[in-house]
Amino acid sequence: MVNVNDLGIKFKMEKRRRSGALAFILERSRYRQRSRGEFWALRHVSFTVERGETVGIIGRNGSGKSTLLRVIAGIYPPDEGKISVGGEVSTLFSLGAGFNQELSGRDNIYLDGIMIGLTKNQIDGIIDAIIEFAELGDFIDMPVRTYSSGMHSRLGFAIAIYSDKDIVLIDEIMSAGDAAFRQKAEIEMNRIMGERTVLLVSHDMNTIKRFASKVIWLDRGAMAAMGEPGEVIEQYLAASRVKKPPPDEY
Amino acid sequence: MIEQLKKVWQRRELLYYVVKFQMKAENKNKVLGFVWSFLDPLLLLLTYIVLVSIIFKRGGPQFPILLFISLLSWRWFASSLSRSVTSISSKVGLVQSVRFPLAILPLSGIIIGFFEWLFGFVILVPMLFIFEAPLTVNILWLPVLLLIQFVGTIGACLIVAVFGTYLSDLGNILQFAIRIGFYLSPILYSVEDLIPEPLTMLYMLANPFAGLLESYKNVIIRGVAPTEYALAGLVFACVAFVVGLWYFSRSEYKLVKVI
Repeated sequence: MVNVNDLGIKFKMEKRRRSGALAFILERSRYRQRSRGEFWALRHVSFTVERGETVGIIGRNGSGKSTLLRVIAGIYPPDEGKISVGGEVSTLFSLGAGFNQELSGRDNIYLDGIMIGLTKNQIDGIIDAIIEFAELGDFIDMPVRTYSSGMHSRLGFAIAIYSDKDIVLIDEIMSAGDAAFRQKAEIEMNRIMGERTVLLVSHDMNTIKRFASKVIWLDRGAMAAMGEPGEVIEQYLAASRVKKPPPDEY
Repeated sequence: MIEQLKKVWQRRELLYYVVKFQMKAENKNKVLGFVWSFLDPLLLLLTYIVLVSIIFKRGGPQFPILLFISLLSWRWFASSLSRSVTSISSKVGLVQSVRFPLAILPLSGIIIGFFEWLFGFVILVPMLFIFEAPLTVNILWLPVLLLIQFVGTIGACLIVAVFGTYLSDLGNILQFAIRIGFYLSPILYSVEDLIPEPLTMLYMLANPFAGLLESYKNVIIRGVAPTEYALAGLVFACVAFVVGLWYFSRSEYKLVKVI
């Protein structure tokens, strides 16, 4: 389903990734002299995810977890190695970063749905389920900028879950909601597990343990370990020198 | 490059929705919403009529409509450019969340600009009767002129969209360039009024937009054929289109990592 072989993604290391045109002209000589360092966000990463598998991805902040999901979503092309994804991928709206703030929740559902390749009819069919699941009520016709962070992430999660794509990418969304939402999210996760291929990034080890059949531990862009969840989490926690599961970072 | 065109064509439904929702989002913040689409060009027109006709006592009897059509067409070009500069960098969250052809972002700005042109044109039509502009068969040239402008604007906007993503102050520089371009183009004046005969050709070739603007005036208001200098615009538009498309296709993947 997802086959990653010796994957490498590099970024240019610059103080300012975007610079000014004026600065460019004024500091031209300095720009030329400056050596452009490179930084591998991911390197030598290889793994296979079978259809219907749920894979947890863990690692410290900046270890390349989100970058990996973006590669699978086709946003970053690999600089090294190969990746093949057999199937359509859901959105990666982690905490609703891709929403248009001025538009209503309803409009955003349509826009996002079309973005990931659904047709208007397909969206008509799932929109009620999304709205109900996200518990938005009357807020669904309010601009997204009026939403609380919980509403944002509930909507993002609902779209990812209901969009019926073969591969569902979930980036730290589960831990954003309150207890009631988490329970609902877990029910939905259980529903799609087995049917879809899920890649789940989380800092909440309990979430990972509950859902993942396999865990990948990324450390500074490299694969530190991969395998049975209990074992890998044990190793990761030992390396982080934390006895108990770390609290949520959000 | 052909690949790029195919990609965008395949996602034309997405383009439609991006345009639709973008326009919705832009109008939502205004109390009068949709009405502003008509008020905007009218107020702009009024400003320049006061300046030229009343303060400087220049321009002929048909000046308001000559001004209006050039103003609308220039505004389409200028607003497309200014939208393109930030079209990608302002959508960081979206670009890093879903894969789609990025060209859709600058392209949607150009299409929105064309709708603004259309709204303005709706106001222009009754004015054409009031100011007794002759309606001739030459009006059929209008779609051709619009197409030339559309193609050229796409090229320019694709380039600006890439540079605007790398250079955060390009917007400021561009605003200045647009202002200069406005005065250098035959909008507040007509070429025959201001440019001495021997220099006409030089002027028209140096500013490909000039031939286009004069042609708009010819076919809509003067009822004659477009000037031969529209050809300069055509050549320039095609070159800009090819270069823009090539450069954008080349840079598209790099952009995602820069923003």
